[in-house]
Amino acid sequence: MGVPERDVPVWRHRFGLLTAASTLFLVFVGGLVTSTGSGLAVPDWPLSYGMLMPPMVGGIFYEHGHRMVASAVGFLTLVLAAWTARAEPRPAVRRLAWAALAMVVFQGALGGLTVLFLLPTPISVAHACLAQAFFCAIVALAYATSREWMAGSAAAAEDGSRVRPAALVATGIVFAQLLLGALMRHTGAGLAIPDFPLAFGRLVPPLAEPGVAVHFAHRLGALAVLGALGVLALRCRRSGDRRLARHGGLLVVLAGVQAALGGLTVLSGKAVLPATAHVALGAAILGGAWLLALRARRRLRPAGAALLAPSRSEALAS
Amino acid sequence: MFNGKILTMLALAAVASACGGAPQETAPPPTTAAGAATSSATAAGVPATGTASIAGKIKFEGAEPAGEKVRVAADAKCAAMHPQGLEKKAVEVKDGGLAHAFVYIKSGVTGSYPVPTEPVLLDQKGCMYDPPVMAVRTGQPIKIRNSDDTLHNIHPRPTINDEFNFGQARKGMEETRSFSKEEVMIPVGCDVHPWMRSYISVVGHPFFAVSDDGGSYEIKNVPAGEYEIEVYHGKLKGQVQKVTVKEGEKAALDFTFKG
Repeated sequence: MGVPERDVPVWRHRFGLLTAASTLFLVFVGGLVTSTGSGLAVPDWPLSYGMLMPPMVGGIFYEHGHRMVASAVGFLTLVLAAWTARAEPRPAVRRLAWAALAMVVFQGALGGLTVLFLLPTPISVAHACLAQAFFCAIVALAYATSREWMAGSAAAAEDGSRVRPAALVATGIVFAQLLLGALMRHTGAGLAIPDFPLAFGRLVPPLAEPGVAVHFAHRLGALAVLGALGVLALRCRRSGDRRLARHGGLLVVLAGVQAALGGLTVLSGKAVLPATAHVALGAAILGGAWLLALRARRRLRPAGAALLAPSRSEALAS
Repeated sequence: MFNGKILTMLALAAVASACGGAPQETAPPPTTAAGAATSSATAAGVPATGTASIAGKIKFEGAEPAGEKVRVAADAKCAAMHPQGLEKKAVEVKDGGLAHAFVYIKSGVTGSYPVPTEPVLLDQKGCMYDPPVMAVRTGQPIKIRNSDDTLHNIHPRPTINDEFNFGQARKGMEETRSFSKEEVMIPVGCDVHPWMRSYISVVGHPFFAVSDDGGSYEIKNVPAGEYEIEVYHGKLKGQVQKVTVKEGEKAALDFTFKG
């Protein structure tokens, strides 16, 4: 069962995918700024050394490059919001598009504030976390215009293995883990525990130092993420939905790679590439878990809920 | 065609995308810290109240750490100023003497001493700081100059004083700042060129010095008294010694760091 081809906004969906890919790249570039210690290489904002385009030397390459990519993503989001407002019949999707635009504008302001106030931890952490939330909003916008979503949920199977709640819980745990990671990164605690996989040669290190405590909490968070995604993958398998099963399995594999990258980040003394890849992969896992939650809501109906057959207009409105 | 699947792959495919008294502007020392080494209260233009001095050598024993090559190529203009490359040493030792160590009277000074109004110069030259170690009085103006044909940001990271960060995009730009509280060895860096590092100490009296290339220092015009002398180096743990000086005498006081 599906909707007619003319009702699927193919080009707007593709534009959403482009915006999502650009946002992920922006997260990677933002990670490079912190990894290379270039966050204050450009001391002013919104201009850079009073210029629109300073010489791209040293740390300026990373910081101003981040600003350029961010501007591009802001522009893409503006276009996506305007396009959605004009062409999208579903009010909720229109509101989400405007919310995404507001988020990217606020994110830019946070980026400027963190430079002007010399990287205060709360603003830097908020900047890092809002980036993840914004990415999730763009993922949702792109998915809401996909064929899968547009096909409707009328024929959805029953969520007997409870994939829907597991996906939401996993998404929440991944987000909390990213928050801890951002806190660790922006308080300079990335090497507070210098060994891996043990911590000061022990399973549990002395936790009196805040940096050690935050770092160790992030490691425990990694275990929680692996556990939550493992449960989610199992439930996806049990659901009998092969697409969800593949999606859940891929998330577990990526979480394993992410844990290895985290270890490599410590063992390499926070080398730029593993540290930055760790940030970007974290965002991708969050986006993936969030997308799986959305897909599960679309492809599975709550256990015990009656099978409904909405009209096409109802499917478009949902 | 299944665009939800494309979106899944997209979201999951992240990795792929994935200076004792500081050298004065009007008479800068011939070398960075060396020129600063024996400058003292008098050199800084502050009325002296004593006739004694404390002098000695900051020694370094043991293996001198190897220098590290700097990735100066990150800025072609910096690279052009160092055609042979640039090597940064954690400690600089000559004839057993440790350069760029900051020495000051930590305790024992009484009375107040007027703060000089003339600025002390911190220059950015050759994508390096000149001098690499300097000291000023609390509230004394520091003139920060960019003598390079490239841009720098100036970013001290104090723990007591107010942090600041500003840019100097063009050669010849100058800006004057000061620190209002006493604080030793404030690291100053350029986030554009991460190898650039300087230390500024802010002292409440004029009795301080920075060791020269050979590790020698002299704090001049010290009033008679008993003092605690402390020495700091950017990469080594500080040391303290007591000394008693009498008017007109030169007290000898050496320090020894071990590598």
